[in-house]
Amino acid sequence: MRPSDERYFERLESRLDEAFDVAREAKRRGGDPRPEVEIPVAKDMADRVENILGIEGVAERVRELEGEMSREEAALALVDDFVEGTVGDYDTDAGKIEGAVRTAVALLTEGVVAAPIEGIDRVEVNDNDDGTQFVSVYYAGPIRSAGGTAQALSVLVADYARALLGIDEYKARDIEVERYAEEVALYDSETGLQYTPKDKETKFIAENSPICLDGEATGQEEVSGFRDLERVDTNSPRGGMCLVLAEGIALKAPKIQRYTRNLDEVDWPWLQDLIDGTIGKDDGDEAEDAEDTEESEADAEGEAEDAPDDADDEPDGPPRVEPADKFLRDLIAGRPVFGHPSRPGGFRLRYGRARNHGFATAGVHPATMHVLDDFLATGTQIKTERPGKAGGVVPVDSIDGPTVKLANGDVRRIDDPAEALELRNGIVEILDVGEYLVNYGEFIENNHALPPASYVVEWWVQDLEHAGANLQALRDDPHVDLEDPSAEEALAWAEEFDAPLHPKYTPLWHDVSVEQVDALAAAASEGRFVEADGAALAPDTPTADEGDTLVLPRTDALCETLETLLVEHTQGEETVTVPDARPLVASLGLTDDLERTWSLDDLSERARSWPGDDGKAGGNAVEAIGEVAPFAVRERAPTRIGNRMGRPEKSEKREMSPAVHTLFPIGEAGGSQRDVSQAASYTASMRGKAGQISVQVARRECPDCTSRTFKARCPDCRTHTEAVYECHKCEVRAELDESGRALCPRCEGEAEPVQFAEIDLRSELDDALAAVGERPGVYDILKGVKGLTSEHKLPEPIEKGILRAKHGVSSFKDGTVRYDMTDLPVTSVRASELDVSVDQLRGLGYETDMDGDPLRHDDQLVELRVQDIVLSDGAAEHMLKTASFVDALLEQYYGLEPFYDVDDREDLVGELVFGMAPHTSAAVVGRVVGFTSAAVGYAHPYFHAAKRRNCFHPETNLWYEGKDGWEHGSIERFVEKYLDESTADTDDFGTLVSELDGEVRVPSVTENGEPVLKPVEAVSKHVAPDYLVEIETADGRSVTVTPDHEMLVWKAGTTRVRASELSEGDEILARQSVIDQPTDDPLAADGGTTSSEVVRVEIVRSDVDHTYCLTVADTHTVAVEGLLAGNCDGDEDCVMLLMDGLLNFSKSFLPDKRGGQMDAPLVMSSRIDPSEIDDEAHNVDIVDRYPREFYLASRELKDPEEVPIKIAEETLGTDEEYTGFRHTHDTSDIALGPDLSAYKTLGSMMDKMDAQLELARKLKAVDETDVAERVIEGHFLPDLIGNLRAFSRQETRCLDCGEKYRRMPLTGECRECGGRVNLTVHQGSVNKYMDTAIHVADEYDCRDYTKQRLEVLEQSLESVFENDKNKQSGIADFM
Amino acid sequence: MPLETPQRIVAELASRGYNADREAVTLLAGASDPGRALAAALDSLPDDALKLSAAHVRTTLDRGVVPDPETDATSPDVRTDSPTDATSPDVRTDSPTDAPPKPAASGDGDPPVSDATPAQSSTTAGNGTAVETGGSAVGTRSPPPADILGDITGESTGTGEYDEFVKVFRDRYERLSSVLRGRVNHRPTSSLESSPGGEDAAIIGMVNDVRSTASGHWLVELEDTQGVFPCLVMKDKPIAELVDQLLMDEVIAVDGTLSGDGGILFVDSLHFPDVPRTHRPNTADRHVQAALISDVHVGSQEFMGEAWSRFADWLHSPGAESVEYLLIAGDMVEGVGVYPNQDEELSIVDIYEQYEAFSEHLKEVPGDMEIVMIPGNHDAVRLAEPQPGFTEELRDIMSAHDARISGNPSTVTVEGVDVLMYHGVSLDEVIAELPEDKASYDEPHKAMYQLLKKRHVAPQYGGHTRLAPEERDYLVIEDVPDVFHTGHVHKLGWGKYHNVLAINSGCWQEQTDFQKSVNISPDHAYAPILDLDTLNLTVRDFN
Repeated sequence: MRPSDERYFERLESRLDEAFDVAREAKRRGGDPRPEVEIPVAKDMADRVENILGIEGVAERVRELEGEMSREEAALALVDDFVEGTVGDYDTDAGKIEGAVRTAVALLTEGVVAAPIEGIDRVEVNDNDDGTQFVSVYYAGPIRSAGGTAQALSVLVADYARALLGIDEYKARDIEVERYAEEVALYDSETGLQYTPKDKETKFIAENSPICLDGEATGQEEVSGFRDLERVDTNSPRGGMCLVLAEGIALKAPKIQRYTRNLDEVDWPWLQDLIDGTIGKDDGDEAEDAEDTEESEADAEGEAEDAPDDADDEPDGPPRVEPADKFLRDLIAGRPVFGHPSRPGGFRLRYGRARNHGFATAGVHPATMHVLDDFLATGTQIKTERPGKAGGVVPVDSIDGPTVKLANGDVRRIDDPAEALELRNGIVEILDVGEYLVNYGEFIENNHALPPASYVVEWWVQDLEHAGANLQALRDDPHVDLEDPSAEEALAWAEEFDAPLHPKYTPLWHDVSVEQVDALAAAASEGRFVEADGAALAPDTPTADEGDTLVLPRTDALCETLETLLVEHTQGEETVTVPDARPLVASLGLTDDLERTWSLDDLSERARSWPGDDGKAGGNAVEAIGEVAPFAVRERAPTRIGNRMGRPEKSEKREMSPAVHTLFPIGEAGGSQRDVSQAASYTASMRGKAGQISVQVARRECPDCTSRTFKARCPDCRTHTEAVYECHKCEVRAELDESGRALCPRCEGEAEPVQFAEIDLRSELDDALAAVGERPGVYDILKGVKGLTSEHKLPEPIEKGILRAKHGVSSFKDGTVRYDMTDLPVTSVRASELDVSVDQLRGLGYETDMDGDPLRHDDQLVELRVQDIVLSDGAAEHMLKTASFVDALLEQYYGLEPFYDVDDREDLVGELVFGMAPHTSAAVVGRVVGFTSAAVGYAHPYFHAAKRRNCFHPETNLWYEGKDGWEHGSIERFVEKYLDESTADTDDFGTLVSELDGEVRVPSVTENGEPVLKPVEAVSKHVAPDYLVEIETADGRSVTVTPDHEMLVWKAGTTRVRASELSEGDEILARQSVIDQPTDDPLAADGGTTSSEVVRVEIVRSDVDHTYCLTVADTHTVAVEGLLAGNCDGDEDCVMLLMDGLLNFSKSFLPDKRGGQMDAPLVMSSRIDPSEIDDEAHNVDIVDRYPREFYLASRELKDPEEVPIKIAEETLGTDEEYTGFRHTHDTSDIALGPDLSAYKTLGSMMDKMDAQLELARKLKAVDETDVAERVIEGHFLPDLIGNLRAFSRQETRCLDCGEKYRRMPLTGECRECGGRVNLTVHQGSVNKYMDTAIHVADEYDCRDYTKQRLEVLEQSLESVFENDKNKQSGIADFM
Repeated sequence: MPLETPQRIVAELASRGYNADREAVTLLAGASDPGRALAAALDSLPDDALKLSAAHVRTTLDRGVVPDPETDATSPDVRTDSPTDATSPDVRTDSPTDAPPKPAASGDGDPPVSDATPAQSSTTAGNGTAVETGGSAVGTRSPPPADILGDITGESTGTGEYDEFVKVFRDRYERLSSVLRGRVNHRPTSSLESSPGGEDAAIIGMVNDVRSTASGHWLVELEDTQGVFPCLVMKDKPIAELVDQLLMDEVIAVDGTLSGDGGILFVDSLHFPDVPRTHRPNTADRHVQAALISDVHVGSQEFMGEAWSRFADWLHSPGAESVEYLLIAGDMVEGVGVYPNQDEELSIVDIYEQYEAFSEHLKEVPGDMEIVMIPGNHDAVRLAEPQPGFTEELRDIMSAHDARISGNPSTVTVEGVDVLMYHGVSLDEVIAELPEDKASYDEPHKAMYQLLKKRHVAPQYGGHTRLAPEERDYLVIEDVPDVFHTGHVHKLGWGKYHNVLAINSGCWQEQTDFQKSVNISPDHAYAPILDLDTLNLTVRDFN
């Protein structure tokens, strides 16, 4: 570590210490659940592991072992310590094993995920039938986040501990073995497994595993055979166990074997059979598949790409990669396609890394963003053809912009965003969308062979040098601009050095056929040169003496050729004018006097038959031009990358629904808004006292005065109170035993520290107001919660809520105020673009710019420190409010000095925040360095990677299919419906999005209470996949959604609540979800809408999408590729203000349920150790130039590893590990282009879809019919079919009391209240898209198949909804 | 088993409210098929009799038991074995279901049953000779047209309103409860609610819910037009196993005792509307035959065009001259958009061309045959049942041979024989919901027995089957048909249930990829030929 880095971290840590001192004092004084700060700081991974586990001594041992051995080995070495008792303090064997297993998992997951705590329920020692003992490990759903290797190794660790403790192996009974097989298969079909072991394999593992794999029930389904086993507690599949068995042991057998070999005590000889695939007949393939998985689809693609090469012997052809259309799957209405696979006119691949570029990002010119009707903005996610699956868009203006045809006949390239905005309305066709910058590291990360590079100035310069030019001299010449030379210079260089022609003057010869070139040459020979006409085009055209502007007689074919070539020109009525045409003329083999020197017959056979991308001989003229031109000509854009919009960027505060200001329970008294003031004047009955409410809260006792209270602090003595456990039946006090349970001494039942208490909310509120010196008028509304979901149900002091409400912030479930932003990486910044002064940067310790020069000017580039982050404008504003709230809290509640003292956002610069990724439990400290107008969170790639759980790569990205073979698209389709419905009132689509890669639905009603099908969308695929939230309602229905997915909750209207924040007792709108046979319609949306009380919210492993893996044998292939996609795939991370976290976070608020600790800052890293972060960040390349060999290698489709380009990995562990992030491309601002995607600014779904189709029409690279087809197929048809089906099987609901009926009651009226019962699915919601769909199908000329499907549906609708004997007459009847 | 049988007979008798002599029981137990014998004996018992006497049993046994359903396919001229050969055990197991409700006989497959088979088969064996003795000229058919009842086509008045749904279910309740009315003395649920309890009571109700209680008993909630009432079926009662056979929304009757507080009914016996055992099917008064097929699936890549042509050619042959009717129970074509990415598996992607192709194939059959078709779930009509026949446009395309097109379901009367044609979507559900021995894909006719027993072609609402509300419930089997003809599951199976011939014809489509993936092997290219004069069935194999 360099001294400057050391200083940087010390700076951060000293500010952190300052904050801690204040927070400690505050906590000591206040009425918080605990009198100390609850987020421990971890400087390194060892600390994190210890903190997350809460086992003392682990960190020290881990540090000792870390230097000597790998983490896996360390995990095993720690077993000895646990067994000997040198680490941990356990009396029982089970405890020791449990400690060892948890530690192993924590170690292997680097202490950032909750798997070690929540994924392992407990360890038990049980009896074998022969009287010996065995060890059972109880796994739970969240073990998934540990990943296969850690899962498998946890079993090994348990076995090793078992062996050391002298406990016997598990001897499975035959029925148990059978049960494993049935259960794994059931789990697989119900939720899906990434790898499905054959029954034989499962049984083999079950028979041989020396440890009994057990676990909690995670599903609703039950096994049908092997039920009610004595030693198996449940008849449902045990999800955690299934995962460990299938994705752990079965899949990772080779990896475990490596470690078993090194251990004398454990011997798993059977692993060999598993690896050899001798279990079951065709296991061989499976096992291989499993292993190959890592090699990823990229490989498969790589092979495909090699194919053309292999075929070179026959007809030669240019190097090309195979088009891949996977990204088009599950196209969503309203999210446009920007290019069909590898099609001319689509994005041209350019290699390089811009400074705001890292993993899973794609550089796009800001002018392109505008030309694409603003659908792309900084941070918008796109689904892409290659190299990964998806990426976040970043603006880079040092690459080519789009080429468009204007209404006035001009064909021109736009390289200026302002010009793009100006010309946008005049664009009739987008001939080319410009370049697409992808960095080398991306290809490494995805293990994707290098597609041929576009010929761009980077390569040309090196070619020139290679040819012998003195580059330095040219660079130093003030009259020479190597990037943008004049035609004359370009031609001179080409001639002088025998180098290829400059890319600026190289049109896309490979896209036109030999005949077209022939025709063009012929046409050119009939043209004439004129003086550049100022009106013609390109104002900077140099006016050579004899005139460089070529005027040709116009023909449509000529226009088309020039358009395809992307030669800038003007199409007049009679003529076509090409400015600056000398190089073009020369390339065409014409003399300066426009004399043609060749005919087709002069060309070699090879040149004449050089195949185009469609394989047609003569379809690619580049060889022909090579022969006729006096210089070498390179392929300008051999690789096109198709893509489409994924999800919009995100930057918004996280708010529970309804918002929560204080975590104080008020029951139903506050109405649907949970209004505390309303509750304070609520009277339950005529004689009741106002504000008297009965809620479930903590039962505590003051140790000094022994008075009982529900508060964390005794109101009288100000002493911190202690929980009192009482048996609710016997009303007897119980004490906590060693295991942390309190049993009633009389009935042995569980005693609880909670009670139903009568609280005088009126006086509580008045006291709180008085305590902070505020009047009720300072806030509009103060919202509490209905009930507390935490174990102890300890409420937050109302004072905090008052101040939150006053300052306009609201709380997350753990007491913190959060703001969500899409992650984008940036490695160097300018003061000017961050809206800070250079002095401020210097004040933060930035002394020099990238090149080591002293930092003086606003526009000098400085290398960003690893923990510095850039806030979006919205985030800054929100943090500012939070800072005011925190200061007020310190002053008015804790009686301390304000900490922040901020007036405007400038004051936030240098302040510390927490960054957290979803589903992790570790926060990373970051420092605010500036602001951007882009709606994203820019930070160093290491910062983003440090927040990420890194053990488990997001195979999820590819889990496209839901259950029963439904593509996950169908979910997205569902989502669109969902979005559409909500458009009516809000248009914050980003917030609704949460990726569900399975078949998932949620219910909803429109504003007017009309039920419609409401499905779930997907959040970031790689974020969500670890857990899903399973919600079960009182009537036995259950839905499984991503935690971020917002459920519709009925609170006097529909409101949205994140699934993870749902609590029991919430009334969610529920719907039957009957999944039919896969033969039927793609959607099994069903049932009516009713509200139903949540009785269980459980975090389960997400598996819905795994089915995809099953369909495609090479799941794992996909998995590795998924890595990339995952990273960018819209990680919407959140930031919290440091002091807010320290003061207000408490574990005591966290829901007492599995998964409740996810998303909570259980531990915080104060400094990033680059070696401990997710590997993906190590694959960021850090050079300022890619060598010429790279270009050549790409022409051979080589693997990226074969090209030596320095990536961050190489500096790990050296002094340079925090620095030296060079980039190849600059961008003038990291927030160019639109601030918000049009997807977010357009109103209704229909508007979006119209815009999408309109854009498809304009884009040359897009087949609008295909888009329309996919929209209908993916959106309208499923909607129509699903709703029609739902109609004919719907539930009904009483309009008066809300009672639901599976079937219409024979009485006709409500059996409960006699009220009116009505349908839940009406004609209106069934056929709402019918006309639009038919219209789109006609307008965009869809296939007859599609049209006929619509026709059949329309007839069905008529048949169901129209009376044959009383047909509604249409206007046609009267004509 | 032998020891048990008398006990079961007594129990069975008791459950039906009869007493019996010891000797009568012994006689019954000694019969080759006690179940059937008992049923026959009871059927012939005078209505006012309460006690079954030995004499009575004897006369019944002497008369011979009711004809056995199977064995019809054994006629010597059948070219290949049909999948369900009459002598194979699986057909034999039909017999137990013949006499429900009768817990004693079901599930045991006891020897007496199989013993009975050969003896009874003599009653019908040797009938299938007409084909051989044929030889008269071709093309001389002149079948009188079929009568069609219960056709929704053009009669669909539903507009998707709540009230219409209510009306349909009420209609179902009214019509099916009238079938049950004679068996129990129904008391409205509202009067039960106000009853003091303790006395005997009976309810006819629509099944609203079936739950198991914590102690393993069954709680069946029955609904009538007044409300709902919980009925408890104790798990140790023999009728408990009938609970497994219940589907939601079917109409049943229960008899039992009200609990002390009047809040629940303890069920002693449970009755389905059922087909009366005494049902005597109508037959044609001349020798004439009908081919009952379904699931042609023209347009699918798997459609078996050549097999179809062989079938059509055979119809032209002298051997088939008495086959004057062709009944097609749905899925003429493969359709469009029936499942995702279906276009990739279509040989004809255009739906109209599919019907045109079907029409061409239909032209291959003799023009003087009388043809009746109903739509299925692959056809271009609404999926919700009842499904109306095709639109004018499609009828024009399928004008070949002037085929009659009717809705699904429809009762088609040919030569006096009532054939209930129903495509069979609900069979999936029946098979999924009921125990394997009651209904399975391998024996689709057993699932059909269940529908006959419930007297409704698609009882369960809200699940697989879709319902379009109409003026009345077209899906109720109000009049007992002579033949019940379905398709949909692509399996061949037939048998007799209380003398009603249930036949699920196979298909004309080879195994699809989907079927392969779920391990279903369809029975394709079989043409079941029904003798309308004897209701004997011959299956012809055109593979």
